[in-house]
Amino acid sequence: MNNKPDFARMKFYCDENLCIDCNGCVVACKEAHEVPVGVNRRKVVTINEGIVGQEISVSMACMHCADAPCQQVCPTDCFYIRADGIVLHDKDKCIGCGYCLFACPFGAPQFPKDGAFGTKGKMDKCTMCAGGPEETNSHEEFEKYGQNRISEGKVPMCASMCSTKALLVGDADEVTLIKTYRAVSKGKGIATEAMGW
Amino acid sequence: MENTNSFFSRNKAYILTLVGLGIVGFIFVKYMMIMDWKYIFDFVLSMASGAGVAGVITPPASGYEAMVNTAFGQNYEAIAPEIIRASNERQEYIWWVFVGEIAIFCVMYTLYGRKSATVTNPDDQVQVFSLFHRAIIWLNVIIIITLAITGFNITWALRSGGGELPYLLRSMHEMTGIIWLPFWLLLSIIAFKDAKLLFNNSVINKIILLGKYKPMKRVIYIAFVAMGAGLLVSGIIIWFLHPDAFTHGQFIQFKRMLLYVHFGSSVLIMFFLMDFLYSVLVSVKGNLKGLITGKYPREHLEQLAPDVLVDIENIKGN
Repeated sequence: MNNKPDFARMKFYCDENLCIDCNGCVVACKEAHEVPVGVNRRKVVTINEGIVGQEISVSMACMHCADAPCQQVCPTDCFYIRADGIVLHDKDKCIGCGYCLFACPFGAPQFPKDGAFGTKGKMDKCTMCAGGPEETNSHEEFEKYGQNRISEGKVPMCASMCSTKALLVGDADEVTLIKTYRAVSKGKGIATEAMGW
Repeated sequence: MENTNSFFSRNKAYILTLVGLGIVGFIFVKYMMIMDWKYIFDFVLSMASGAGVAGVITPPASGYEAMVNTAFGQNYEAIAPEIIRASNERQEYIWWVFVGEIAIFCVMYTLYGRKSATVTNPDDQVQVFSLFHRAIIWLNVIIIITLAITGFNITWALRSGGGELPYLLRSMHEMTGIIWLPFWLLLSIIAFKDAKLLFNNSVINKIILLGKYKPMKRVIYIAFVAMGAGLLVSGIIIWFLHPDAFTHGQFIQFKRMLLYVHFGSSVLIMFFLMDFLYSVLVSVKGNLKGLITGKYPREHLEQLAPDVLVDIENIKGN
C-alpha cells in the first residue's frame, strides 16, 4: 500500500524561456469566455523588450494560490477554493469593493466599468476554465464566468492554445514532471515532447 | 486658585488633542500595524522627487527581480499584508471604535452638560445663517451620513453577505464621494472663521460664517479639512485609477498606500464628527433649530454666542 499522500492541486506554470509574447493565450481566453473589453483575465508581461537575448515574457493570470490573499480579505467571503485547488468566486455575493485587487500580488482580479453609476462592476478573474457556483455548464454559469472546460475534462483554453507550450496547467505534480523533463533535456535536442505528430 | 491665563489653559484643546492623537497613533503604529516604514518613507520621497508611483525604489539586480517589479510592483510585503489585516481586523475592532465614540460623547455630556439660554422675547430673531450657508451645511451633513453608511457597508459586507443592495451601496459610496468634493471645499471655505483675522472686507464677511472659533471648534474644523482632504484625495485617486491588467504593476503600490490613508482618515474623522455632533446638537439647546431656520433669538446669542452678535454689528458698521 502506498502511504504517500497525493494532494492534487491544479496549477499554472509559464516557462519564461519558451513564451514568445504572442498573446495567443490572452486572445483565446477572451474569445472562449466572451470577456468584455477592458477586462483581461490573462496578460503577458515582458521585460527587456527588444534587447536580444535578454527579452523574457511570462503569461500571468490568477495563480490559484493555496493560501489565497483575495479570499482572506474579501469582506463578503465570496471566494471558495475547490478540492482540486482552483480558486473561484461567487459574483452574486461580490460587491466590487476591490479589496481582492489590493491584496493580490499578481493583479488577477479585474473589474469591468459596468457597475451602478458607471463605477467598477463585479470582480472578474481567471477561473481556470472551471466556471463558478452556478449549475455546471448552464447558461447562467457561462454568462457570469465563461466556459467550464474542466468539467468536460478539457485543458483550460489558454494552455491548450499556447503555440510553444510555454503555458502549462494541470496537477502540480504533473506540471513539475514536465518542467523537470524540460530542464534535464535542455541542450540535448528537442526539450519539449512531441505533441502528437 | 487656578491660573486661567496660563499657556496650558489657553491651549488646552490643542495640547489635549495632540496628546490624544499621539497616544492613539503610537499604539496604532507600534502594536497594530505591520508595515515597512522605511520603504513607505523612501516611497514617498521617491514620488516627491518625480520618480513615479510604481514603488520600485531600488533598481532590479536580476532578470527575475525585474520581472517581479514589472508584473507585481516591488516589495509586496511592505503594504499589502497590512491591507489584509486592516480588512479583517476592522470587522472585529469596529465595535470598539463605536464604544470609544459613545464613551467620548458620554464623558463630554457629563463634564459639560447642556447649555440653554433664557429667552424672554422669542420673536426678536437674528439671521445668522444665510440660505447658502444652510444649503452647504446640510448638503455636507447628508453626504457625510451617506458616505458613512455606504462606507461601513463595505466593511460590514461579511455580515450583510454581499448581494445586490450592498453592491449598489458600494457604487453609491464612490459616486457620493466625488459629489462631496465641491461641497467639502465650500464648507471648508465658509467655515474658515479665522480668515476674518487675516482679511477684513465685505466679501469675507458675506461668505464666512459668523462668530469666532473657540479652541475645540477650531480643532474640529482643522480635522474636518485635513481628514476630508485625506479621504477625498485618496478616494478619488483610487477611483480614477481604474484597475487595469496592463498598468497594474505601475499603480498598485501607490493605490495600496492611498487605501491606507483612506482607512486612517475615515477612522479619525469619525472620532471628530462625534465630538462635533455633541457640540452642535447636544451642548447648546436650540442650535439645531437655528441651523434649520437660520435664525436665533437675540437673547440666545447674547448669552451663548456674543461673538456672532459682535460680527453682525461689525458688518453693519462697515
